Amino acid sequence: MNYPVWVLDVFGGGTLIALIAIVHVYVAHFAVGGGLFLVITEMKGLRENSPAILEYTRKHTRFFLLITMVFGGLTGVAIWFTIGLLSPAATSSIIHSFVFGWAIEWIFFLSEIVSLLLYYYYFNKISSRSHLILGWIYFACAWGSLFAINGIIGYMLTPGEWLNNHNFWSGFFNPTFWPSLFFRTFLALMIAGLFGFLTSTTIKDAEMRHKMVRYCGIWLMAPLVLLIASAVWYKAALPPAQQEMIFSKSPELKPFLSGFIYISPLLFAGGLLIAAFRPQSVRRSTAIVLFFLGFLYMGCFEFIREGGRRPYIIHGYMYSTSILKQDLPEVQKTGVLQSGRWIKNREITADNRIEAGEELNTILCLPCHSTGGVLNDILPLARRFTPNGLEAFIGSMGVANPYMPPFSGSGEEAAVLAEYLTTSLVPGFMPVAPDITPISVSPAPFNPETSKYVLLSGSTLGTILFSEPEESGIDLSYGAPVLRAQLIFRDESPSVIMDEATISFIIHTGKGKIEGRMEEKDGFFEATLAEIPTPVKPYQPFFMADINAEVEGKIVAVSQMKIGVSTELGCRNCHGGNWRQDGRSGISRVTAAGILKSHDTQSNTNLSEDFNKGKIIVCSACHGDVSRGTESKPGLLSLSTAIHGFHAGFLSKGDNCALCHASSDTGASHSFDGIHKQLELSCSNCHGTLTDHAVSLLKQEGETGQAEKLLSLLENRGEVDIDEIIPRTPWTMEPDCLTCHVDFQPPETDNAFNIWTEDEEELFHNRMGEAGAILCSSCHGPPHSLYPAISPYGEGLGSLQPMQYQKSPYPIAADKGCAVCHTVEMEEDMHHPGSLGIFRNKE
Amino acid sequence: MDAARLIPTPDVLQIPWGWFQVLLTVTFFFHLVVMNILLGCSIITFFRHAFGRTTGVNKEISKKLPTTVAFTINFGVPPLLFLQVIYGHFMYVSSILIGVYWLSIVAILILSYYSTYIYSMNYDKIGVFRTVLTGFIAATLLAVAFIFTNNFSLMINITAWPAYFDNPEGTLLNLSDPSLFPRFFHSVLGAIAVGGLAIGLFYDFKKRKGDETAEEGIAVGMNWFAGATMLNFGVGPWYWGSLPESVRSLTGDGSAFFLFFLLAGIVAAIFSLIYGMRHQVRPAVYYLMGTLFCMVLVREFTRRLALAPWFKTSDLEVVPQYSPFIVFLIIFAGGLGLIYYMIRLVLTDKGAHP
Repeated sequence: MNYPVWVLDVFGGGTLIALIAIVHVYVAHFAVGGGLFLVITEMKGLRENSPAILEYTRKHTRFFLLITMVFGGLTGVAIWFTIGLLSPAATSSIIHSFVFGWAIEWIFFLSEIVSLLLYYYYFNKISSRSHLILGWIYFACAWGSLFAINGIIGYMLTPGEWLNNHNFWSGFFNPTFWPSLFFRTFLALMIAGLFGFLTSTTIKDAEMRHKMVRYCGIWLMAPLVLLIASAVWYKAALPPAQQEMIFSKSPELKPFLSGFIYISPLLFAGGLLIAAFRPQSVRRSTAIVLFFLGFLYMGCFEFIREGGRRPYIIHGYMYSTSILKQDLPEVQKTGVLQSGRWIKNREITADNRIEAGEELNTILCLPCHSTGGVLNDILPLARRFTPNGLEAFIGSMGVANPYMPPFSGSGEEAAVLAEYLTTSLVPGFMPVAPDITPISVSPAPFNPETSKYVLLSGSTLGTILFSEPEESGIDLSYGAPVLRAQLIFRDESPSVIMDEATISFIIHTGKGKIEGRMEEKDGFFEATLAEIPTPVKPYQPFFMADINAEVEGKIVAVSQMKIGVSTELGCRNCHGGNWRQDGRSGISRVTAAGILKSHDTQSNTNLSEDFNKGKIIVCSACHGDVSRGTESKPGLLSLSTAIHGFHAGFLSKGDNCALCHASSDTGASHSFDGIHKQLELSCSNCHGTLTDHAVSLLKQEGETGQAEKLLSLLENRGEVDIDEIIPRTPWTMEPDCLTCHVDFQPPETDNAFNIWTEDEEELFHNRMGEAGAILCSSCHGPPHSLYPAISPYGEGLGSLQPMQYQKSPYPIAADKGCAVCHTVEMEEDMHHPGSLGIFRNKE
Repeated sequence: MDAARLIPTPDVLQIPWGWFQVLLTVTFFFHLVVMNILLGCSIITFFRHAFGRTTGVNKEISKKLPTTVAFTINFGVPPLLFLQVIYGHFMYVSSILIGVYWLSIVAILILSYYSTYIYSMNYDKIGVFRTVLTGFIAATLLAVAFIFTNNFSLMINITAWPAYFDNPEGTLLNLSDPSLFPRFFHSVLGAIAVGGLAIGLFYDFKKRKGDETAEEGIAVGMNWFAGATMLNFGVGPWYWGSLPESVRSLTGDGSAFFLFFLLAGIVAAIFSLIYGMRHQVRPAVYYLMGTLFCMVLVREFTRRLALAPWFKTSDLEVVPQYSPFIVFLIIFAGGLGLIYYMIRLVLTDKGAHP
């Protein structure tokens, strides 16, 4: 923000600094450990009176000088240059905070150069005592150099008290100073052994070679043991935040942690191997392999250390975007484009949205991400998202993905950035509202004068979600639809007919008809389908079903119902891939793979492997799902809790339900199309915001699995105090209509969150009116599509049965239409208070 | 685009800026001397090889080059450090604007450095390849010099900064700045002069130790010195004419000092040239060191005057912390003592290795 950002494209994302830093650090540690190696080896030569060892030492000194002084010295300068180019604000900060630390390090560097040059050029030209003094001075200065740098680098990871007092010494002797110093010292000695192999394996005399290779082996193996011990100390000295970031919050660091753990014994084994086997071919190749293993070892450590700082560049002080932690609230308020210095597009207009988005990407993303490069490539990440998905994700930065800094911009800047990333940087993801071609439906016949029966029917859950597992490879679906019907004999005192009636259905699916009979239940007929039928093509988020009622073998009533089944699961908004069907619905295998990859990364599973072998991954097999009658495996959250709980961290800002559910106004399913939709209520009016909704589920799970961890991410992010949210069980404890419609009256509030039905009996689709005869849903329609529902798939489609029985789209018997069943007008509102009223919300 | 808005906010200092200015000036002077010797000698040896003047002088230079590179780099660290303390918010920006070139300096220097070792260790074996190698060394060092000139002229050329918005990839150069080339040539000619004088001084030592062949070396060095210095008297006014108005108007704070050191430097250079042409090495060296020091100060005042419309060092905020500075001074003194001890150790120790 204070400085321009060097746009590096493929070389961004830390590639440059990783390359330069790891190479330099490897050589720099050699410069320290190798110094001791020289002087100790010279002493060994003198002690054993061995000209051969002394000659080896002399030659190794030349190798050492050429590697450390030339390459090491200049790559050190390169790091300095590079951090100044990539993170000028942080570089300026550490230069200003530790200028005399750097200056002291330079003195050591100067003394190193002088002593090493003298040591090299005066080999065999001065007394061995004087020569050894030079060697010891070199080592002391090199270690002093390490001492100085260690303080400054350690400060970036664990600034400790410096954050409060900005005192040089507090920052320098920070909480990890000593363990890090020991760790690096042992590392340096070990690396001296690895470099020693390179020269000792070239000694021509076989016996001498054997002797010196074994000698170098000791240099490798002995410090390695101490190194592991100091690594444990180092880990213990890390404050909790840095420990968590390294060991649990950064999935990307796992390979480096594993690398560090696995390479340790490999190096030890390599040391034994090279010491034990005499054949030159084995030794030479082993020396080279060990040398590169050492390099990888160093790389793993550096990546872990750097990763531990996330999302800061100076922990607790400056974010990796170079924004100071203390400045963040102000920047978020003002906006990045207004706060930054190197900004071209200060105002966002309709004409510069993409340009402004690109500028935000440069300032906020490129400090850590490459564009098409090896490290932290932003392209595959952006490719996973739709603009809406990414915008929601951006809002969650720093919470669900704590290795990223919180988004520093305004809400509009998040939208513009998301738009740029998903439509310009990675073209082709701008979602287009699908064209919906209405189908022609007309209500089944009903003659109020002659018809003796009324047949009311519907599916219990409104529109259910179906992931088409055979196609997508992942089964995230709800349970199969449950159909219900009530047959009413029309009379002044109508009755619900059960014993002598038969209700059958014919569902028109994408694979022909499914016929069946409903079973008699307590006051209604019900059929649970064996499975979710094959969707109709072209896409249609429902099946039409014909319902027939027979009494004494004769059809007495017919009706039609819409069984909502949507394949429009919005996983692709964040998990990559495109719609599988007609550009509007269906999880593709690419999306499924993206979901499973995330699951594997976050939860240490191996689902991707099974998926790639062609197995269908059934989510409810592990995460219990009431709608499918499955139970969770021990220690795992229920499916609803897991999905809402996990995603709430990522999508917690705004009203984001439609990112996953099929309820979007611009989508293909419009699963929320009932009267509450017409009244411009949203999901959160009844279910709470995603955060609050997730909290209610997570709290119910107590200490199960990751419930507590996920809950901790949601603190202070919802609209309701987390302590006040009442835990609930998914599917059985749902919002209660009577929370707003107290005593069935017009609503007193538009917020039903946090008062739950006690059990299944109280659920809307199970509840009956006060007369105990008619299901609420028989008159009001299915959840989320309460009459009058307006479906873009056809006029009258959302209110088929009201239109059939009363030629109006309002709930059955609205507007004093008791005659639908009672054949006459009634004077008592026996079904529920207010049932004799006039429908209030007509267009 | 308001260029002033692009200037980053500087960080706070631990001790007043004047200390850093002194440290910057003094350490830069030493870096300048060694760097000039390196660059000047590289160019001189190249031309000598190219024109068939491959004598003992070249071989002597070859032996010293790697060490000179080491000390040039090492002595470059503190001025760059102290510069960043006072002017980092300008230098980081200009470095980013020329990022690709700026970072390439390291790769170029590695090649250059190793080339000096190849040249030095294989001098007798490589024959004609010596011309190629010294040409390569001189060319790479000139490239580094050109990049440095770009960076340090761009850091004070604020009005050129908005070019970033059309080229954020770090491939800008400060070519539109009229002072770029005169500044570069002025510096390179100065380096050749210092290089020549260093050769002269080296052989002057030899001559005083009784080496009768040293005259050739003195002549070579002093001729290059005199030639380069005379040319620089021509380039100097060109450089002056290309400086920004805020510098040339001599009206800003410190202009009197600027003018004084400029004139003193020129006068000292004239004396140095006179002695140089007479092959009186030591007086020429003394005067040239005076010139160099004056020019280092002129350079600092040029920067201050060029930045005056936007920035004053006295505006830098200070939150005092003196203890690190004191520890630095103690370790610095200790380091110098240690170096003295080591040099004395090898010079006084005559015992051969068993």
